[in-house]
Amino acid sequence: MSQSNMLAMILAGGRGSRLHDLTNKVAKPAVYYGGKYRIVDFPLSNCANSDIDVVGVLTQYESVELNSYVAAGGRWGLDTKDSGVFVLTPREKADSGLDVYRGTADAISQNIDFIDKYDPEYLLVLSGDHIYKMNYDKMLQYHKANKADATIAVIGVPMKEASRFGIMNTDENGKIVEFEEKPAHPKSNLASMGIYIFNWKLMRKMLIDDMKNPDSSHDFGKDFIPVMLNNGKSLYAYEFKGYWKDVGTIDSLWEANMDLLDKKNELNLNDRSWQIYTEDSPCLPAYIGPDANVDVAYITQGCIVEGDVHKSVLFTGAKVAAGAKVVDTVLMPGAIVEEGAVVTRALVADGVRIGKNAVVGDANSENILLVAKNVKEA
Amino acid sequence: MSKRAFGIVTAAPQYFHVEGLHDYRPIGAFSFLGRYRVVDFPISNMSNSGIDSIQVYIGGKPRSITEHLSGGRYFNINSKKGRLDLLFSREGARTNNTNPYDTDIEAFIENLGPIERAPQPYVIIVPSYMVYRQDYEALLNQHIESGADITLLYHRVDDAKEHFLNCNYLNLNRQKGVLSIERNLGNTKDKNIFMDTYVMKKELFIELIQEARKESSMFRLSQIISQKASELDIRGVAHKGYFASLTDLKSYFDASLELLDVKKAADLFDDKWTFYTRTTDSCPTQYFEGAKVRNSMISNGSMIEGTVENSIIGRGVTIHKGAVVRNCVVQAYSEIGENVHLENLVVDKWAKIGHAQEIVAEADNPGYIRKSDVI
Repeated sequence: MSQSNMLAMILAGGRGSRLHDLTNKVAKPAVYYGGKYRIVDFPLSNCANSDIDVVGVLTQYESVELNSYVAAGGRWGLDTKDSGVFVLTPREKADSGLDVYRGTADAISQNIDFIDKYDPEYLLVLSGDHIYKMNYDKMLQYHKANKADATIAVIGVPMKEASRFGIMNTDENGKIVEFEEKPAHPKSNLASMGIYIFNWKLMRKMLIDDMKNPDSSHDFGKDFIPVMLNNGKSLYAYEFKGYWKDVGTIDSLWEANMDLLDKKNELNLNDRSWQIYTEDSPCLPAYIGPDANVDVAYITQGCIVEGDVHKSVLFTGAKVAAGAKVVDTVLMPGAIVEEGAVVTRALVADGVRIGKNAVVGDANSENILLVAKNVKEA
Repeated sequence: MSKRAFGIVTAAPQYFHVEGLHDYRPIGAFSFLGRYRVVDFPISNMSNSGIDSIQVYIGGKPRSITEHLSGGRYFNINSKKGRLDLLFSREGARTNNTNPYDTDIEAFIENLGPIERAPQPYVIIVPSYMVYRQDYEALLNQHIESGADITLLYHRVDDAKEHFLNCNYLNLNRQKGVLSIERNLGNTKDKNIFMDTYVMKKELFIELIQEARKESSMFRLSQIISQKASELDIRGVAHKGYFASLTDLKSYFDASLELLDVKKAADLFDDKWTFYTRTTDSCPTQYFEGAKVRNSMISNGSMIEGTVENSIIGRGVTIHKGAVVRNCVVQAYSEIGENVHLENLVVDKWAKIGHAQEIVAEADNPGYIRKSDVI
C-alpha cells in the first residue's frame, strides 16, 4: 500500500469451458500463452508494473494449480515486506457455512475482511483471463481527476461485434449514462473490459447491501454497476487503446498466439519497460539443429528444433524432431512432435506427444484442432 | 542441506587473462551459452550436491556478479538456512593484474573469519572459471572413505600441448597418489589437468593457509599442497564427462561452440542435474520471414531475420535481414546490421555492428568485438 493506496483483486475463478480439455484440470487464468507465460501473468505483471503492491487472487474452479502458481509472488516482484500476492478461495466462516462465490461481486464481498486489513482508498477489480498490457496507475489518475465513484475501462470494438459485449454509453466527457449488457442494437462500440476502480468506502457499503439483496445475482455487470447507475453515482469510462484479448475459445487462443509472429505486433512482449513476468524454468536456450528450418516462429528457451517450423509458437521444452513439420501450430509446454510427423493448424496441449509420421490437423480446416491426447505413430 | 561441508568458489588466478571480455568482468561473470554465466556451473553443482553454504570470492568489477547471484534465490539455495556470501578477493581485483602477491592464499587470509566460523567440518574449494558437472557430495563421500587428507579432482586430457596452458596438472603415482602439482607448459600431450577442486577438513585447510603465508607471500594453495605431498596423503580423483577451462579467448570460444554438438552437450547437461541461473524475464525469440538458423543455441528476447550458423546467440540480440553470423558467440543485446557478415568472433554485450560489413577471423584465432562498440 506504500505506493498508490490501491489494492487489486483479480477474479480468477472461471472455468473457461469453451477451452474444452485445456481447462479440465486448471482454471482459465492458468492456461498457457505466448511461449512461456500463463494468462494470469498479464494482470499480475500489470499490477507489479503499475506499482500496486497487494494483489488478492480470487480462485474457485480447479484452483490447486493456479493457487500454488500465484502464491509465489516473488515471480512478479511482489514479495517484499509491504507487498504480496494472496490466494483467496471460498472459505467457511464462523457465522455461515462454506459458501462458494455466488458471483463476481460476491467474491469481493466475501473478502471484505481481507481488504479492510489494508484499508485502501481505492479498489481495482480485474479479470484473470485477459491478455493485455495496461498501466492501472494512469486509469487511477483519470478516476481521481473525474472525482468518480467508479471508473470502468472500455475498449473500442468493431460495431458489428458490439452486441457480444457489455456496452457503455457515455456523454461527451466520458461519463457513463447507460450500461447495456449484450445489446441487440448497440448505441456505442465501447465494450467493458471487466476492469473497475471503485472508491472502497462507498463500494464496501454497497457490497453489503448487495449481499443482502435476494434478487441480486451478485455480478458486477448484471447487478452492481446497474445499481450504481440507478442510484445516480458518478461512473466514468476510461478508454484503453492497445492490444486486448479475451481468449474464450481454442480458435481465439490460437489466434492470440499467432499474433505474436507479427514483427510489429501490438502486444510487444519484448518491451523491457513493461515486462511480463512469469515462472522461471531452468533450461538451456533454444537449440536449433543442423537440418532445421525455422521461419516465422516464436520459440522460447528449452525448445529443441531439428525439423521444420513455420508460422508456429513453441512453448518451453517443446520438441520438433528431425523430418517433422510443424505449420500454423501452437505447441504448449513439453509437447513433442516425433520424427516425420506433420502437424498443421493445431493447438497441441502441454505434454502431448505426436508419434512418428503421424499426420495431425488440416491446412483447410475451419477450426483449429485441439490435440489434448497423445497421437500414436503412423 | 549438508552439515558436513561448506563451499568456496575461488576467483581465477591472476596469471590468466582473457582478451577483451576480461576487461569488463571476472571470468566467473562471463556469459556462457547465451543465458548462463560461468559461475552458475560451480554454484549449481554445489546446490545440487546439497551444499548451500557457499562463499564466492569476487575480485574487481563486482557489479555484474553481485547482481547475478543476488542472495542465492535463483540457485535453489534455502533463503533462511542456506547462504551465498560474496567475499572480496584481491586476486582478480584489477584488469591485467600481474601482482604476484594477489594469490588465493591472500584472499583466504583476508576472509579467514567466515572460514573459521563455518560450522561444517569439511570444505570443498572449486574454481569459478571451469565448466563441468560434478556431484560434490559423492566426491566428499569418496574422500572420507579413502581416509586421505586431501582429495583433488583432475581431468585426463590428450591435448595438453596446445590446450590448458598454464593450468596446473597432477603428477600422480600408480595408486593415484599426488606426487606434485605442476604448471602445464605444453611440453607433453597427455596430462592430468588439475580442476582446481579440493576437498579436505576445514582445520587442515586453515593450517595450510597459515603455513603457506609463512613460506612465502607469493605462495598459492596448490603450491603449499604440492610441497606437502610427501607428508600428507593427497589423492587424485579422475573426473568423467565434459570439462572446459576458460582461461583465454580461444578456450572460451571453443568451449562455447563445441557444446553445440549434441553428444558433447549430453556430457555436461543432464535432466536430473539442473544448472540454475538468474532469469531476466525476456520474452521468447522471434524468427521472421527469411530467417535461417542452423546448429545454434538461441537465447530468449532475440529477433532474427538473417542467417545464423554454428553460433551462440545471447539474450535480446537483433540480427537483421541479410546478415550472416557464422561460428560466433554473440552476447546479450548486440545488434548485427543488414548484410553484415561475421565469422569466428566473440561479440561482447551491447555491440552494434552497422550495415554491410565483413568481419572475419580465423577459427583457430577468433576475433573479439568490444562491449558497447559501435562499428
